[in-house]
Amino acid sequence: MTRVLLLLFFVILTGQAQAEPAITLSDASGSLTLVRSELEAFPQTVIETETPYYEGKVTFSGPSLRRVLEALGIEGHQEVTFRALNDYSVTGSVSSVLDLDAIVATRRNGAAMSVRQRGPFWIMLPLTERPELDDPQYHRYMVWQLAAIELK
Amino acid sequence: MGSRSAAQRVFSRPVVVTLFVALVLLLGASFHTYRQDQELQSVSLAELRMASWNLAQLGHEADEFGHELRSMTTVAADQDQLLLQYDILWSRYDYLLQSRESAPTRNHSDNESRLRSLFSQLRAMETPLMALVSGQRSDWDTLTMQWQPQRLALQQLVVDNFVGDETGLLMDQVQASRERLSLLSVLTLVVVAVILCYLAFALIYIRRQSRIDQQTGLPNANYLQVLQSVDVGQAIIACEIRDYRVVLSEYGTDYAADLTHTFIDRLKVGLELYSFQLVQLSPSEFVIFVHTGDTGQLVRQLLASVHFDWMVHDAVLPVRGIFGIDPAGAGPTLDWQDRYQQAQRCLAQAERQGLDHCINNQDLRKQLMEERLVHAGLVRFLADEPSSLSLSLVYQPIVSTGNIKDIRGAEVLLRAWQEELGPVPPNRVVELCERFGLGRQLGRWLFRQVAMETRQLYTDLGFQGTLSINLNPAMLADELETDVRSLLLDAGIPASCLCMEITEDNAALNFGRINELIQRLSQAGVGFALDDFGTGHSSLEYVRELKIDRLKIDRCFVQGIEHSAGKARFLGSIIAMAEQGFLKSVVEGVENEAQWNLVRAMGGSLVQGFFAYKPMLFSDFLAEILTHWSTVSTDHTLEVSS
Repeated sequence: MTRVLLLLFFVILTGQAQAEPAITLSDASGSLTLVRSELEAFPQTVIETETPYYEGKVTFSGPSLRRVLEALGIEGHQEVTFRALNDYSVTGSVSSVLDLDAIVATRRNGAAMSVRQRGPFWIMLPLTERPELDDPQYHRYMVWQLAAIELK
Repeated sequence: MGSRSAAQRVFSRPVVVTLFVALVLLLGASFHTYRQDQELQSVSLAELRMASWNLAQLGHEADEFGHELRSMTTVAADQDQLLLQYDILWSRYDYLLQSRESAPTRNHSDNESRLRSLFSQLRAMETPLMALVSGQRSDWDTLTMQWQPQRLALQQLVVDNFVGDETGLLMDQVQASRERLSLLSVLTLVVVAVILCYLAFALIYIRRQSRIDQQTGLPNANYLQVLQSVDVGQAIIACEIRDYRVVLSEYGTDYAADLTHTFIDRLKVGLELYSFQLVQLSPSEFVIFVHTGDTGQLVRQLLASVHFDWMVHDAVLPVRGIFGIDPAGAGPTLDWQDRYQQAQRCLAQAERQGLDHCINNQDLRKQLMEERLVHAGLVRFLADEPSSLSLSLVYQPIVSTGNIKDIRGAEVLLRAWQEELGPVPPNRVVELCERFGLGRQLGRWLFRQVAMETRQLYTDLGFQGTLSINLNPAMLADELETDVRSLLLDAGIPASCLCMEITEDNAALNFGRINELIQRLSQAGVGFALDDFGTGHSSLEYVRELKIDRLKIDRCFVQGIEHSAGKARFLGSIIAMAEQGFLKSVVEGVENEAQWNLVRAMGGSLVQGFFAYKPMLFSDFLAEILTHWSTVSTDHTLEVSS
């Protein structure tokens, strides 16, 4: 009985530990949490690109940033702030950020990303496809360990 | 003179070299600064910012982890947060050591090895951390102890990267660069200011130099350009060395320059009693502005002073100055430019007339004004336009000594009438035409007029007398034959009745060429006469060389023959000489009966003079011929054309 209880506890514990990573979207009227499977249920975009972080091309996949923001509603918002697990945050105007063709990457080279791999979510830009984005002023939007998106 | 030597000092070699060196040094300093800053710029500020950002983040994330770790022994313990912060820190090390973007950060100094060491220490905490989280262990203090040295090493890394080492050095260099640049700016300003001053000074100096003749140091033609006014009390004198060109061509530039210097010295001697300014226009031309009331006195002194013998090699060359003077306060104009022009005009006039000076006075102005009127009239008249001047012809019969009424021909003479001036002397008309290039036009007009007036005399009346026509110098050219043929012969004047008169002065040019002209027309039957025989320089040579038919003996040999047997004999010998040379002689200027009788006694010649006939209009000439035809001419019958 104790064993069963222990096992149950372990399962709950691991279930909790294995809980799906999520992004919190929020604006003045409220918030919305999207877990990885929900994000991956959106139409997926694949970006194969060179990055400042890895040698050679790396493939990222995930829903477009626009689609994710639409889940909360883009209308009426001017600014967007991305917040990372380490409290790093960056803010930009909604229109200029949407112009970047960014995705909320959930997978790198087909595999989900751990925190150590700068996951679970990573704003990724198509740098190879649009070389003009390969510039520090756009690099700052490539927030890794993305935890929350706030619209204003 | 003092300012000039100062100017020479300023433009001396050392000053120019110093300025040049200063400029080169400035350029060198600029280049050095540029190179230094190039090195500074090779340190990318973007990379520096990236490194500082990454290391600041590292510090921040380490603090977060440390904070969570410490709280594990308190009620605020949050294991998930601790593991998350551990993973975040882990990923930061991974990023710093792996990513392309952070390469400059880890490559700087010994950052990479220190980061690797720190990362391995962090990973070494993973096993005990997991054990503690899963509850297998509970000695959080041990792990905290393990973390402390990492935290310190990490802080040291951040401090080393930002305060000490190359970043600090870089800041020092940037500071030094800024100081260099500001110093350079000041230096540049100073040098540019100095050079600008120098150039301004040079410009003024060069402008002043440009107004001074380099050879003699006298003000030059450029000086006249900037001259504003000349005191009315000053005479303006244009002056020229008459023989300068001879010296230049015969002896070369050095001697010519020597002559110029000598001449200037002489001029100054002549002017020493006056206050004057001497301007040099060219090596042989000068302008003098001089205060004087007595122009005549000044001119005498100047002429005496510049009339000298100049020794060159073993030769002695008589040097003369020619002057054109606009006297003080004389002319009607006060503008100095106009007065200067008057002075130059006087100089030209003196040259033309072979005088040593010419003063702008009432007479000269009148003369020049008249010349302008006559010239303007001639241009219009010869162009067949309405003119204030008209030309006409008169005829002075030439008679045989045998019978004073036996008209053997006539000399065609030019008469000119100007509306304002009245009669204008024909020699003046000819001289003006020659000077202004109207000579041939005048000659052609004359031929045409002669033909128009006398044609009937020859074609209808069969007159066989000779028409003597004076050739002005411009007509003695290749076109003469064409003109004679087309204007006279073609019009019906028989060639044998034409005699072209050449004066000795006009023939002086070139015997060969003149004879060629004579020969061509002689073949057609036209005769030639040497006019004014005896007044030129070498008359006999002309008689010998020129292929002429007639000799017109000048009136000076007739004057006084009635009073002097010697003069009469002399005239007789000239006529005899002409006869010996198969020349017909025409004695000019027979004015009274005594002279006529003497000339007639010498025999064989023709006579032209007041005693026989004065010059007359063609109608009178025609009437005279018709009156005397039958009485004197036994061998000519009057032929009336049907």
